[in-house]
Amino acid sequence: MGRKLLLEKAHVEGIRYFDVYRREGGYRSVEKALKTMTQDEIVEEVKKSGLRGRGGAGFPAGMKWGFIAKPEGVPRHLVCNADESEPGTFKDRYLMEFIPHLLIEGLIVASYALGSHDTYIYIRGEYAWIPDILEQAIAEAKANGFLGKNILGTGFDCEIYVHRGAGAYICGEETALIESLEGKRGNPRIKPPFPAIKGAWGRPTVVNNVETLAAVVPIINEGGEEFAKIGVGKSTGTKLISACGNINKPGVYEIDMTISVEEFIYSDEYCGGIPNGKRLKACIPGGSSVPILPANLLLKTAKGETRYMNYESLSDGGFATGSMMGSGGFIVLDEDQCVVRNTYSLARFYRHESCGQCSPCREGTGWMEKVLLRLEKGEGKISDIDLLWDIQSKIEGNTICPLGDAASWPVAAAIRHFRDEFEWHVTHAAEAQTRNYGLAHYADAIHVPV
Amino acid sequence: MIDMVQFSEDKLAKVNEIIARYPEGKQKSALLPLLHLAQENFGGWLSAETMDYVASLLQIEPIEVYEVATFYSMYHTKPVGKYVFEVCQTGPCMLNGSDHIIAYISQTLGIKPGETTADGLFTLKTAECLGACGYAPMMQLGKHYREHLTKEKVDSIIAECRTAAAANN
Repeated sequence: MGRKLLLEKAHVEGIRYFDVYRREGGYRSVEKALKTMTQDEIVEEVKKSGLRGRGGAGFPAGMKWGFIAKPEGVPRHLVCNADESEPGTFKDRYLMEFIPHLLIEGLIVASYALGSHDTYIYIRGEYAWIPDILEQAIAEAKANGFLGKNILGTGFDCEIYVHRGAGAYICGEETALIESLEGKRGNPRIKPPFPAIKGAWGRPTVVNNVETLAAVVPIINEGGEEFAKIGVGKSTGTKLISACGNINKPGVYEIDMTISVEEFIYSDEYCGGIPNGKRLKACIPGGSSVPILPANLLLKTAKGETRYMNYESLSDGGFATGSMMGSGGFIVLDEDQCVVRNTYSLARFYRHESCGQCSPCREGTGWMEKVLLRLEKGEGKISDIDLLWDIQSKIEGNTICPLGDAASWPVAAAIRHFRDEFEWHVTHAAEAQTRNYGLAHYADAIHVPV
Repeated sequence: MIDMVQFSEDKLAKVNEIIARYPEGKQKSALLPLLHLAQENFGGWLSAETMDYVASLLQIEPIEVYEVATFYSMYHTKPVGKYVFEVCQTGPCMLNGSDHIIAYISQTLGIKPGETTADGLFTLKTAECLGACGYAPMMQLGKHYREHLTKEKVDSIIAECRTAAAANN
């Protein structure tokens, strides 16, 4: 069993409350950071840890912190991105529900490191019961001197506020999140300027994912170098994976990124295999936006090497034969699932969530949904498949924010790896409604597209 | 009939507490939380009158409220039933049979997604990913999630709502 840094204590009775959390060693990182370290030393420690942003992009967190501008007399802000909305992803929810003080602890240390006296947690509106849990934790931390004025007598002041969103996937994008925090529609901003220079209310702002901020706690407690020893290569520390779809044990797992994809799916410690003895057909390993892979390319890379649950291995082969770690939303499809139908469902999601600001995304996501629906219903033509490919290629890279890419990639990957299934929906329209196509083909030989 | 749109003293204190979370002069930042509060207090949806009232509280133009209220999926700009079933239909939920759950609710209540029952009790809506993919199929009902839905579970949720509604009358 791998090491747990975040969820080790998540199931201790009463861990949601300050006294228990504190008794279990909680808030030591705040004492250490505020009393014995300078702001720069904390940033250095996070850099040394190799911690990569856990929201999906995987950008080095310490480097992001290092970018924050410090103009004289201008307040800076830390904003926690708890707008978890990427289909397949529900790890931040788990962390906030079960061990909220871990996030608050990480937020206090990060706020100190960045000089944020007013820190915000932007949480998706649908997680409507979680703000109560967080506000309770904040109140307890404050009552015990870890928040508010003159924290632990160090002279550092900090307040944390919970800000509820109201249902918009796009607000997980950091500049849309900032717009939303300012009381506006979640339309992403053009970068530069980056939030580290000009963010919330025009002030230098760092936006970090929930899991990223929670990981700051073990980094400070044990040191960045110790953290970096866990995992492999540039995939340091542990990663929360939310597993779902056709598996026996859906849920949130903390892994140390050295286990293989095969072990993750079939081991009883994790997903526990596929229900009803079905075979694995495909998997979207990092949230709905990342490329879907057929079983053969999921378990082994195109070179025939074992694929592991980490940033480098999951992306081995690029988009031609690989995928991405993304947000850690691990979606498994068994042999009964239809890739065309699944892709249609995701396309509908992106059309619904496009903010409408950029035409390629606004028009393209709706167009892809329409074409996919007619293919799914057996009313499509072979030329529709090329049309889809064409549409997605014209959205990707042509929008202000990555939602355009996120909408394109699933469609591109589905056609890249399952083109024959799309064709079969056209040539066997009636049959396509009742049964699936090509499992053996996907599960067996490695199929590298030209 | 909706009573005059006006928060109670308690709620106004809450409004001021929310506004105080944001920098001075940036009270517009309180718009999303205030719209949640208004929707909860004024009949479960946001009428033009309610939105104008929120605009006046924040000293912003009504259009700044309308454009936000229509952008976010959780704000209802038309009346909804007392109980709104928002059933997730995205990828992972679909893989676990959300389409059947939506069809079953639709058939049981006699309404299509987007519609409200004649007695004003239930509204059925489809929702996009609610972050409960491991506990699919699921729906949001008020503040909470109802997960691992089955037909039997749907029946009992409907019965539970009817009982609660009868008790409140």
